[in-house]
Amino acid sequence: MAEPAYTVASDSETTGEEKSSAFPEIAIGVDIGTSQCSVAVWNGSQVELLKNTRNQKMMRSYVTFKEDIPSGGVSSQLLHEHDLLSGSTIFNMKRLIGRVDTDPVVHASKNLPFLVQTLDIGVRPFIAALVNNMWRSTTPEEVLAIFLVELRAMAEAQLKRPIRDVVLTVPVSFSRFQLTRIERACAMAGLHVLRLMPEPTAVALLYGQHQQQASPDNTDSGSEKIALIFNMGAGYCDVAVTATAGGVSQIKALAGCTIGGEDLLQNMMCHLLPGSQSLFKNHGVKEIKSMGLLRVATQDAIHRLSSQTNVQVDVDLGDGLKICKVIDREEFEEVNKSLFEKCESLIIQCLQDAKVEVEDVSDVIIVGGCSLIPKVKNVVTNIFKGKEPYKGMNPLEAAVCGAAVEGAVASGINDPFGNLDLLTIQATPHAIGIRANGNNFIPLIPRNSTMPARKDVVFTTTHDNQTEALIIVYEGEGKKAEENNMLGYFKISGIPRAAKGVPEINVCMDIDAANVLRVLAGVVMPGCRQPAIPVMEVRMPTVDDGHGWCTEALNRSYGGRLDLVTVEKKA
Amino acid sequence: MNTLSLSSNISISKPVHCLPFSNKQHKPSHMKFVVVSCIATKVKSNEKNLYNILSLSPKSATMDDIKRSYRSMALQYHPDICHDPSMKEECTRMFVKVNAAYETLSNPMLRAEYDCELGLRSRMMSNVGVSEDEKWRRRWQEQVGGLKKRSLRRMGQKGGSWGNRMRTQNMKD
Repeated sequence: MAEPAYTVASDSETTGEEKSSAFPEIAIGVDIGTSQCSVAVWNGSQVELLKNTRNQKMMRSYVTFKEDIPSGGVSSQLLHEHDLLSGSTIFNMKRLIGRVDTDPVVHASKNLPFLVQTLDIGVRPFIAALVNNMWRSTTPEEVLAIFLVELRAMAEAQLKRPIRDVVLTVPVSFSRFQLTRIERACAMAGLHVLRLMPEPTAVALLYGQHQQQASPDNTDSGSEKIALIFNMGAGYCDVAVTATAGGVSQIKALAGCTIGGEDLLQNMMCHLLPGSQSLFKNHGVKEIKSMGLLRVATQDAIHRLSSQTNVQVDVDLGDGLKICKVIDREEFEEVNKSLFEKCESLIIQCLQDAKVEVEDVSDVIIVGGCSLIPKVKNVVTNIFKGKEPYKGMNPLEAAVCGAAVEGAVASGINDPFGNLDLLTIQATPHAIGIRANGNNFIPLIPRNSTMPARKDVVFTTTHDNQTEALIIVYEGEGKKAEENNMLGYFKISGIPRAAKGVPEINVCMDIDAANVLRVLAGVVMPGCRQPAIPVMEVRMPTVDDGHGWCTEALNRSYGGRLDLVTVEKKA
Repeated sequence: MNTLSLSSNISISKPVHCLPFSNKQHKPSHMKFVVVSCIATKVKSNEKNLYNILSLSPKSATMDDIKRSYRSMALQYHPDICHDPSMKEECTRMFVKVNAAYETLSNPMLRAEYDCELGLRSRMMSNVGVSEDEKWRRRWQEQVGGLKKRSLRRMGQKGGSWGNRMRTQNMKD
């Protein structure tokens, strides 16, 4: 048996106590994209992108399972695009990680040329690669870990030092549960996550550095520059509004959704071959091959449509199935109309959340793989009345460069020229609260709150002599508790017997600068300053897979017996 | 160790001249957490004045002044700037306060409300020189303002976040 490609380090809380070097280790910045991936590091004076042995800065995000040893897109020499699509290669792990099999994104992934099986009961999907005509099961975490091991080896070879600390960029729409899965994958690869940065905030940091370099002595000036960052890659679409001055970037609002190049591609595949989903349902070897061929041809057509107004698609899918069609740009835009509209509404929502008018925005930054699509650029610039997008950044490298800058800043590196005198004041992308007042979601920390954040709310019992209460923590924007992502739950017991509404149950949520969420709960009886029972402090999320099940099970077992309601504050 | 944390607490509080520490400096026997709670009590008496937290003059501070001061305070107290792990908690606490002050003062509506509360200006005066556009904005924000004010007052009464008090208390026991 071959050595496993990764080592399972105990995840989280593995502190870097064995640091012997007098110099602090500079954390590397990693941008794991749905389709492409890159690594960058602060080299002492500027950000440098690392290249693999094939001299690539951008590496495809995939892992091929062949024989015993899996190999990823960093090291392997890809013979032909079609090899990638023969069933043995897993990709799009960023779209699959931390999702359950009822998630529409998982369902959309069933068209990929490897096995994604769902039972639609709220557990993790079954994912497998075809190796020697056998389905070998894997998980998105495992695939990501194998990939990260390769990235780490590449970085270590180039920087000639061991790599441990990383700053990773993540989509805005990732739930806290998904973030833990990313951390888990990093731990499997022996990496310690210093910070997970929402992608547009990494771009905001880079923008802050640009502004600082352009006019280094405006620290004292009150005038800030507002920028809108639109980032659309293969898997996700993110928006941020940032206010920057004197090296301080304050994230005013964040918005994100699961829309990306992958959706454009799938819509086009459906357009070229109506009913393609049902055609490939069985995942036979032949079907996978056809699916792969169609995918490559469509992807190629979309790429060419960025520079041409029409393209000829000519592909033989085998079994007498041939596609011969001319597609023009308008057709492509029409097919994906609803996706572009969603992007537009995301930007508008972000501007509203930030309480910023279109006229206040000094720079519009469009980054990510999809920024090359003319329609995407149009959608953004139209909102800003035709304003030319910001030119100072490479749209494909901005996020990873921002992550590398954050890596240097967070590692405590000083730059004699002040290039690292930067600070990003982050905001929470989702509201966090608990279930109370029946089945309602009561947010304690609203969306777009500045981090670190601390908020507390007083709740009380719903029954006389209620001695226990259940705190169920959710994240999201839904009014009803179950419309949100459950992060975890715990029970407070030992509430002194009293009439309903008398005990004060204090729930406090605390998000530190590293985005760690802690929920504290305690009971105070009126007239006492001392808590009635020891305060509970719980780090969230605590749930593992199948969180939907937990809610149902809790409801079944306890009904409303352990419920809470909010208390009208006495002013 | 105790004296170290004590002195660094004081140095960090210097720019906020609303925190008179003079009488607290000579208690070296106290644990760090006791010092922390002392700060909380001291701030409490001044909590009402958000201008002090941002080192601003209530009468003359312009929006630019508020933003500038917020940024310089952020550069001082944001936990990302602070690389001393023992100071992180205190920095976080200060930054949360600075941020709350900024959120009120950088919003013209909330600031006007707050100024009324301080008795700096009358409600009538606060409307002088405000455009129509600003007026409707104020109206719809009135509701939010009320809520905010209540929570601020509650904070003022209790002296910082409940979680902090509980944590401090637990650690003392």
